[in-house]
Amino acid sequence: MTNELIALLVPGLLLFSAIFILLYGLSTSYTKEKGYYMTLVTLLVTFILAVSTISEKHSIEVLPDIFNSMLVYDTFSATFISLFLFGGFLTLAIAKSFIDKTSYFTHESFVLLLFSLFGMVILSMANELVTAFVALEIASMSVYVLVGLNRHSLKASEAFFKYLLLGSFAASFYLLGMMLIYAQAKTTNLDGIAEYILHTELHSQLLIVAGSMLIMITIMFKIASVPFGAWVIDVYEGASLPITAYMAGVFKIAVFAFALRIFLSDYISFEAIYDPLIIGGAVVTMIGGSLLAVIQNSVKKMLAASSVVHSGYLLIALASIEVSNQNAANAIIFYLFAYFISALGAFGVLSYISKGGDVLITFSDLDGLAKDKPLIAASLTIFMLSLAGFPSTIGFIGKFYIFTSAIEAGNTLLALFGALTAFVSIYYYFKVVVHLYFKESVHLSVDYGYKVSLAFIVISAFIVLWGGVGTSLLFDIPGINELNKLTEHSIESLGL
Amino acid sequence: MSTLSILIFLPIATALFLFFIRINIQIVKVLYMVVTSIILYVALKLYIDFDPNAPMQFVEYKVWIREYGINYFVGVDGVSLGIVMMNAILMPLIAIALYKQRDKHGYWIHLLFVQGGIMGAVLSLDLMLFYLFWEIMLLPIFFMIGLFGYGRKNFITMKFNMYTILGSLVMLIAILYIAVQYKEQFGVYSFSLFELKNITLSSTQSILVFSGFMLAFAIKIPIFPFHTWLTETYRSAPTGAVIVMSALMAKLGTYAIWRFLFTLFSDTSHEVAPYFIALGLFGLIFFGISAMYQTHLKKMFALSSASHLSLIVVGFFIYDVYGLVGSSYLMVAHALSSAALFLMVGMLFERTKTHYIDSLGGIAKVAPRFALFFAFFALSIVGVPLTAGFVAEVLIILGAFNYNIYIGFITATTILIAMLFMFKVISKVLFGEPNEVTKDFQDLRMHELFALVPLALLVLAMGIFPNYFIKNIEPTAQFYILEKEAPKNDK
Repeated sequence: MTNELIALLVPGLLLFSAIFILLYGLSTSYTKEKGYYMTLVTLLVTFILAVSTISEKHSIEVLPDIFNSMLVYDTFSATFISLFLFGGFLTLAIAKSFIDKTSYFTHESFVLLLFSLFGMVILSMANELVTAFVALEIASMSVYVLVGLNRHSLKASEAFFKYLLLGSFAASFYLLGMMLIYAQAKTTNLDGIAEYILHTELHSQLLIVAGSMLIMITIMFKIASVPFGAWVIDVYEGASLPITAYMAGVFKIAVFAFALRIFLSDYISFEAIYDPLIIGGAVVTMIGGSLLAVIQNSVKKMLAASSVVHSGYLLIALASIEVSNQNAANAIIFYLFAYFISALGAFGVLSYISKGGDVLITFSDLDGLAKDKPLIAASLTIFMLSLAGFPSTIGFIGKFYIFTSAIEAGNTLLALFGALTAFVSIYYYFKVVVHLYFKESVHLSVDYGYKVSLAFIVISAFIVLWGGVGTSLLFDIPGINELNKLTEHSIESLGL
Repeated sequence: MSTLSILIFLPIATALFLFFIRINIQIVKVLYMVVTSIILYVALKLYIDFDPNAPMQFVEYKVWIREYGINYFVGVDGVSLGIVMMNAILMPLIAIALYKQRDKHGYWIHLLFVQGGIMGAVLSLDLMLFYLFWEIMLLPIFFMIGLFGYGRKNFITMKFNMYTILGSLVMLIAILYIAVQYKEQFGVYSFSLFELKNITLSSTQSILVFSGFMLAFAIKIPIFPFHTWLTETYRSAPTGAVIVMSALMAKLGTYAIWRFLFTLFSDTSHEVAPYFIALGLFGLIFFGISAMYQTHLKKMFALSSASHLSLIVVGFFIYDVYGLVGSSYLMVAHALSSAALFLMVGMLFERTKTHYIDSLGGIAKVAPRFALFFAFFALSIVGVPLTAGFVAEVLIILGAFNYNIYIGFITATTILIAMLFMFKVISKVLFGEPNEVTKDFQDLRMHELFALVPLALLVLAMGIFPNYFIKNIEPTAQFYILEKEAPKNDK
């Protein structure tokens, strides 16, 4: 199959299967089971399609005659698409017990999930501002509704409304920014804008600088960086666990994919103007996120708050991208992968042990879990270690790349600050470990069932470890080197 | 697999295997003994095959993360050999002494894990590899204190963990910084110790990076004023963990000063040496005096350990063949004696359920064998002639006199401070009249003797035939001294 065909087939299949489930859901022969497996199969097939194109460097415009170079399918988008689809698959696979035991996962929820993935897939291919906006809104709208799935919960409704209101408000900045850019550059195509910037003096580009900054506000909002991320705790808390996992692990990555593309093609020329802003943003994000995370007593809220901190690390790398040296961009992709798998795993464990309950899992709910369920406890510990950046996990390698690229760009103090933030994060991540292992159990032993979900959790834990120490020398499984190669190819394919 | 990889990965692999396979605790113990015995055998073979005059031996080199020049690069020389041997010797002995008390899988799994971690950290010649093992060996101790400790164990293990990781993270940035400098100067990334030492840094950079490394090592050792985690952690930790921390992990901090700081920042280390000698001597006195006022046995021995580790730091920074050899010798000697003492404190607690010096007394009357060994090891820490400690301390004092007559004088007199608290302990714990707690004190049992006798013999052997052991360390020390002086001659 050619790359162009796959580029059409992946979103096409997602869309088709979403509409199919939407209609089929109305028929009497529909059961939750069928909807679930249909979604799962769709995700698996599209994932296999997408992943078959990441091995080499390539870049094509998808049907340039029809779409007028709005969509680009390169290794970069292929990598991200594979990540989203894998993330969607993993979320669903781990959340099987949660979905079975709750009543609000109707057929629409699967449809919305597929729609949001469709939006993200288009977003990562978008090479034009309007397309990107539409794709971002498709994805966001679906996620808004997914947050409010549980209509009977007041918290979920509050979260839904808050997210919808703030999200739409933030999106308007994007529109304004896009308008300003268009007013000056007379195009919304990223390549066109880049060309305009290149051929115009920096002083006479006020509108583009201002417009880009407004777009950046929307991006900062979506990745929940301080001070635009005030919604994050409430929304993550109100959403049901699989959806929280999906938002933290997958949706955030999609926004970063677009941010990275727009950065490397356009913003990079304004490096001197934006770097201080991003550095400032990174610092307040790390401080704010750490403060929030330290004071939480629910594990879910702690993970939500700590996801802000991780955005801070990513901003460090974003500030360290230079025209001459784009190692930092590789670091971002690697870190996204590391955070993706660890966060999905961590939230997955929570959703697995909450069994669809609406309760917040507090730290003391985890007391003594290790005695009862050593495998679950060990997996959760591995995810925590990875999020904290402890060596021998993929999270450490991710931080290693980010800090190295920051030092390379001359931001040594910023890297040191990142390391100190990681030090603070040891506190709240290891608190989970302390509760898992060192506290006396207060609960009766429960059988969680769903061995398949557990198997996926354990597999994720192995990926985390393998990504931390793995090398293809030992077994013939792709390890750190191969991931590196992939991130390099992705970034290079942007320039093709 | 070659020798060093077996030393590192056999214990780790066994630990992982035991974690996943839930089997009878008796089998776990047997497996622990088998694996640590194999390690001991391999280590002994390493010791015999070791060629004192060759620089780095049994080197293994495999590419790990290609793009960043991170490799699996291990090797052994005269200094690391000592810690490798200690690690191999102590681990089976811990099991012999404790196998009756400890019936939890985790205890033995974590001990195996930490053995592999320490081997890895000692043998690594690549900075990232070193960092990996340096952090990994922390986890088992964290778990051991949390799972099997005493008192406010959760708080204490967390504090210990965070304190240590703070140092490590600063060191990580320092490592990355010099790696980036290397890239700017040579065009490629490398984390290999022997390549990184070729970089040129300005004196400010050098001092900053040096401090980054030193912070991590100073916390681990601990050097004054980074010792605030020490007494509480030792007090809470179970016997196995205390032995590992005092006999092996603390030594690893001092070892790393030599291996990494002296290699990478030879000039800077030389410049700052006076400060660290002063800090070390101050620590020697400060910890010594603090130890005198302790009523809790474990806390007291913790401070006594810290006091001797300060002396080791002094010996290193004197930077002279006598100082280097003496300190390396003291690392081994002190590891043996302190491991034995902490084992005996563990036995004491098991029998009397108390750690307080004041509530003990008269043990010599009811348990003569216990008293004999306890006194012997306590005296060997003080450095009584015929014990290993004596040889080491004499060498360090010689080195100190070579360095500067006043420093020599101060070192020679302050070493005596150990006598003050050791004699206090010996007199209060062993002598006097037996009281309620100690009147039924049971003398050493057979398996406990089995654990202590080899340690005692080794301490004696190292005290009576020091040449046999020193000949392995000396060429390495000479090599470092020559290297230190070489650039000076160029100028």
